[in-house]
Amino acid sequence: MDELQINSHAHSDALHPLLEARGVRKTYSFGSVPVEVLNGVDLAVQPGEWVAVLGSSGSGKSTLMHLLGGLDRPDKNGGEILFDGKHISVTHGKRLDRYRNLDIGFVFQFYHLLPELSVFENAMLPGMVGSWMTNRSEARESAGKLLDSFGLSHRLVHRPGQLSGGERQRVAIARALVNSPRVLLADEPTGNLDTKTGEGILDLLAQRHANGLTLIMVTHDPAVAARATRIVKLANGRVVEDA
Amino acid sequence: MCVAMVVTVVSVMSGFLDMLKNSGRQIVGDVIVSSGIGGMPYTDEFLVDLKGLTDVQGATPLIDTIGLLRMPYPLGNQKEVNHVQVWAVDPISLATVTDYANDLYWKPAQNPAAADAMTEDDPRKNLTDSILTDGKTLVQSKTGNPGITLGIHVSIGNERQRDGSYRPRYGWFMPGNDVTLTVVPVSSQGKIAEPREQIFTVLNEVQTGIYEVDKNRIYIPLKEGQRLLRLDEAPLYDLNAEPDAQGRYPVIGNTPARVTKILVRAKPKVTANELRSQIETAYASFANRIKADPARTASMPNVVNILTWEQQLRDLIAPVEKEREMMRVLFSLIYLVCAGLILSIFWSIVVEKTRDIGILRSIGASRFGVMWIFLRYGLVIGILGSLLGVFLAWLVVTNINAIHEAIGSDAPPAIWIGSFVLTAFFAIGLAYSIWRGKLLPILLWLLATLVMGLIASFLALHHGTLIWDPSVYYFTTVPDQVDWWTAWTTAIGGVVFSVIGAAIPASKAADIDPVEALRYG
Ligand SMILES: Nc1ncnc2c1ncn2[C@@H]1O[C@H](COP(=O)(O)OP(=O)(O)OP(=O)(O)O)[C@@H](O)[C@H]1O
Ligand SMILES: [Mg+2]
Repeated sequence: MDELQINSHAHSDALHPLLEARGVRKTYSFGSVPVEVLNGVDLAVQPGEWVAVLGSSGSGKSTLMHLLGGLDRPDKNGGEILFDGKHISVTHGKRLDRYRNLDIGFVFQFYHLLPELSVFENAMLPGMVGSWMTNRSEARESAGKLLDSFGLSHRLVHRPGQLSGGERQRVAIARALVNSPRVLLADEPTGNLDTKTGEGILDLLAQRHANGLTLIMVTHDPAVAARATRIVKLANGRVVEDA
Repeated sequence: MCVAMVVTVVSVMSGFLDMLKNSGRQIVGDVIVSSGIGGMPYTDEFLVDLKGLTDVQGATPLIDTIGLLRMPYPLGNQKEVNHVQVWAVDPISLATVTDYANDLYWKPAQNPAAADAMTEDDPRKNLTDSILTDGKTLVQSKTGNPGITLGIHVSIGNERQRDGSYRPRYGWFMPGNDVTLTVVPVSSQGKIAEPREQIFTVLNEVQTGIYEVDKNRIYIPLKEGQRLLRLDEAPLYDLNAEPDAQGRYPVIGNTPARVTKILVRAKPKVTANELRSQIETAYASFANRIKADPARTASMPNVVNILTWEQQLRDLIAPVEKEREMMRVLFSLIYLVCAGLILSIFWSIVVEKTRDIGILRSIGASRFGVMWIFLRYGLVIGILGSLLGVFLAWLVVTNINAIHEAIGSDAPPAIWIGSFVLTAFFAIGLAYSIWRGKLLPILLWLLATLVMGLIASFLALHHGTLIWDPSVYYFTTVPDQVDWWTAWTTAIGGVVFSVIGAAIPASKAADIDPVEALRYG
């Protein structure tokens, strides 16, 4: 028993999913008409996996990512989401903020950087907003290192508006990684980029994956999905193919 | 801004009120015992009683009546005549109750340095001490004749300068000139007797600081007043007896001299109300003693009012007090405007920054963290604004007399010429912006040019208007003390309302749902 418990908290326990969706449902209502976007998604992501989520437009990929990232919650009685064996779909407030801030990193298709802040400030932002006082100098150091390794060290004081799409996405990834999360969620990280720039981003993600980061990535593009270790297909609000 | 306005106005009003109260006290003492025009007899004895009270600092008898004063001007036979309030006083004891001695305006410079500071045309430069002692005693030391002192604004001869000092106008320096005072004696039955007049030499002039007093009051020695008004000691005739061969009735005694008012000053820390009740008791026992004494020829007046200075000046103080409270309430409404302003500005910021707030939330900023961003700005704005407001108000209030004088006189040429130069500069900017062809700069330069041009023309044409009309506001100077209690409560109110104004948009920001916010990014 003891052994099992110790194991269940260990990072590399392959038997124990790092991030898991169990029977997750999500319904949006357009006025009075409810539309069930997700109706019972089961997905277990093991530590060290790189999962690509495929699906047609409107199939609910982004919705699933938001639920996994703690930005949104499933329906009432609409299943549960577990991170490292703990329910995150029932926690709220501070715990959820903490989860978003420390446990995961989120990368969006449209970068979503703060236009008034410099590249460096954007990257270190998660180190600043946590009310649990993550060490600021640590965040600085880590942001500096990440931007450096992403080839952005000459861009630190620039505003996001002065950067190309690929550069912006690299800043967004640096931001997502600055608090050293265990999972990176990326919603079409290359969707807004040309193939070559997208390749660069994927190389960067692959390198992080090689360093042990767990990745969940949404994409339309089968070529992009091919870089992942596992491909999951979403249709009709469910996982229809898992390979 | 709002804070500055509230503090300035309320400070001036409070200062005004304080000044009114203070000078009120300086002028009439703490408690006033007054009878009708027939006067009170045996007041010498009552004054002895009063001085026996432990809480009494000083007491002084006086007669308060009205009279006509014929001025020595203009040249020629047709002289100007003013109606005046006549105070027949004992100047020595008056000085222990009021600030009479200090209020005498004409005195020689205290020291050579002060004399040097005075300009050549300042009459004070060449005064000797005798003018002051004459004023203090109401006796002309040179001749031994009783004299008169006038409120500083009674004669037209005193022109107030920017620094508050006076210069003779039309060459009329009053001390040394003769004036004729006419008063009408009134018997205790209210019958008017033949008016009486007497020539007095002006010994000095008095500046109490209350315009109404300085404009109307004159001071003569008590003895002279009693004589002129037939309130002096006189033989009492028996009108029921047979007159003698010359038609005179037999003398059966003396009627005592009378006064119409007694001013009493309390010792420090004794309130006027405390003193008033003591004096009431003292007066009652004094009146009973007199009534019980059959040897007394004169009867006590039926009605004697014993009032504190506050009660006496109620009519003067109450409206100002009300006005100040009104102002406080009205200006507090400005708070709401401030809060509304902050609210709408912050609201539009929150709406505009919805996406950014969503980003912050998505990377783990807490609801409170988001809220705090806005609350903190509200707090900072409130604190800075309030401090700035208090500072501005302090600047304005402490310099209010200088500002007032500046408004009251012509603008110095340097300033309005400077304004025209600035206007010209703006016009050049306008020309340049037209050449550049961008619409916003053209508009801004145009506005700047117009506004500056208006200011410049206004300054050039400005010939001085006195906002603070001394005849309306009792005082010759504007109060310049900041009412700190009001200042800080207003400032704190400003901060609170800023935070309240910020709290509403801040809560809206905290309620932003990250997914929603980012969907429409
Ligand atoms: N807040 C919302 N309110 C109403 N409907 C919503 C909301 N969010 C998503 N939807 C709907 O849910 C469905 C799934 O949306 P979602 O963004 O998850 O799709 P997706 O698979 O990411 O599509 P795409 O590939 O185009 O990004 C869509 O039909 C969308 O209109
Ligand atoms: Mg999507």
